[in-house]
Amino acid sequence: MIRRLIRIASAFFRSALQEEFAYRGDLLGNVIRSVLNLATAIGGVAVIFSHTETLGGWTLGQTLSLLGIFVFVNGFVGMFMSPSLNRVVEEVREGTFDYVLMKPVPALFLASARRFVVWHVSDIVLGAIVLGVALVGLEVRASGWGMLLFVALLVCGVAIVYAIWLALTTLVFWFVRVANVTMIFNLFFQTGRYPIEVYPFWLRQLLTFVFPVAFVTTVPAQAVTGRDPSWLVWIAPVIAVVAVLVATRFWRFGLSRYTSASS
Amino acid sequence: MTADIRVRNLVKHYQVADREGGLRASLRSVVRRRHRVVRAVDDISFDVEPGEIVGFLGPNGAGKTTALKLLSGLLHPTSGEATVLGFTPWGRRREFLSQITLIMGQRQQLYWDLPALDTFLVNKAVFGLEDAAYEAQLDQLVNLLELEELLTKPVRQLSLGERMKAELAAGLLHRPRVLFLDEPTIGVDVTMQQRIRDFVTRYNAATGATVLLTSHYMADMKALAERVVVIDHGKLLYDGPLAGLVDRYAPHKTITLHLERSVDRADVSVYGEVVDADDLQVRIRTEKAKAAAVTARMLAELPVADLSVEDPPLEYVIDQVFRRRDS
Repeated sequence: MIRRLIRIASAFFRSALQEEFAYRGDLLGNVIRSVLNLATAIGGVAVIFSHTETLGGWTLGQTLSLLGIFVFVNGFVGMFMSPSLNRVVEEVREGTFDYVLMKPVPALFLASARRFVVWHVSDIVLGAIVLGVALVGLEVRASGWGMLLFVALLVCGVAIVYAIWLALTTLVFWFVRVANVTMIFNLFFQTGRYPIEVYPFWLRQLLTFVFPVAFVTTVPAQAVTGRDPSWLVWIAPVIAVVAVLVATRFWRFGLSRYTSASS
Repeated sequence: MTADIRVRNLVKHYQVADREGGLRASLRSVVRRRHRVVRAVDDISFDVEPGEIVGFLGPNGAGKTTALKLLSGLLHPTSGEATVLGFTPWGRRREFLSQITLIMGQRQQLYWDLPALDTFLVNKAVFGLEDAAYEAQLDQLVNLLELEELLTKPVRQLSLGERMKAELAAGLLHRPRVLFLDEPTIGVDVTMQQRIRDFVTRYNAATGATVLLTSHYMADMKALAERVVVIDHGKLLYDGPLAGLVDRYAPHKTITLHLERSVDRADVSVYGEVVDADDLQVRIRTEKAKAAAVTARMLAELPVADLSVEDPPLEYVIDQVFRRRDS
């Protein structure tokens, strides 16, 4: 089963690559966009640190590491997640989602791994570079164990993002015009550019337990920069598993509603 | 042999939001919606035997598409049963979905910016087709549909008709045993409609696949379906051969006379109902059983220059079917 799904996903990936090559102009535009975005973000951090030594207890180097993680995850989401899930919203509206349901493959898989926007690889690479440079600047000595923890936390963070996005996408089965899932998502996701500590208490709670962006950037950054990891490190896997379970159940519920109500 | 498609007392009701026009009504509907139940499919039963081509006939909103969606597993029914190839469609089992296809003339699955061949390759992976089986089926489809030239052009550059042919191929690569075709000829020109019809006939003959299709075009029904199922307002009105439909709802013939000299209208109306008449041409409608006798009498008694006897056009028959129900 898994091997079959991998074969299918790679067929999708190949056609995604071909689709992108059909519009070559996008390559340059996307690279420029990535670089400009990153420059603005770094500029913002630089401005803040020209007035202060620390931000919510985070040094410049630590904050830049976090920004690197943010850019990396943002690129990852843009490449692997949002294209497929956004497509679902379009297809439900246009009625072509029926073709997805006619395939002898689990609908959740097709909804999640069908489209890829390859050029977001530039964000992934730039994010990794920023993180790497910041870590070198911080003179962090990465232990094998520390790296493993970091990667595990990053996986949890990405899983949480997936769950949130999937849940937002599922709303389309009730409100056919979930016009801009991306916008709602970004509203919250953009808070991940800065450590969670900079936000007021109520927003911190919101970003930890309701819309858990804290686990996407702050928590992995704590682990990798050698800051005292908060207790959040230990519940990250729990939140990730719960979020994915809840989101996939919600998806199934929405799908069953779709297949009993649409015309 | 057991039926490929077996439908018993199938019912599908929808709740739809109902509201009057105007801004005020719109605002009110945001807070409190009034719902109305639409009986899209209302207690329908029929069987389709393996290899049969059956046409689903009905006006817009009659429930044809809903019925197809129920049978292809996209919708859950409100009540009733159906089996397709022995499966309950809405169970959506992989074995079931691998053996059927739903092709909708108004919706496309092909990648817009890529040649159709790339969509085919994706479907090959999705359906887990072996290379040999895929190649063989692709060859057959390319031949039957004359696709050769179209395969490598981006889909966006194809004409509507060409795109429909490619859609058909994309939906048939996995050699489905049951085909649900929802308006496969919609929007394409007459020549292309003819080609699509020929294709369905030949594909059915070559593979023995069972076909259930909907269409607005009577020509499709005449060419393809030996049997039609007529539904309106979700109810089944007729199930049987197309010819029987004509006998039941329009059991008459139209006789067209060309006269050598004009005749008093009253002299003509004794032969049957006068549909229209001008100076030298008269059309008369008469019961089918009497058509031969009436024709003979007219030839003997009127100054006939030319005469033809025709079945009423199918469009007229269908119109009769739905009118009768509405009244």
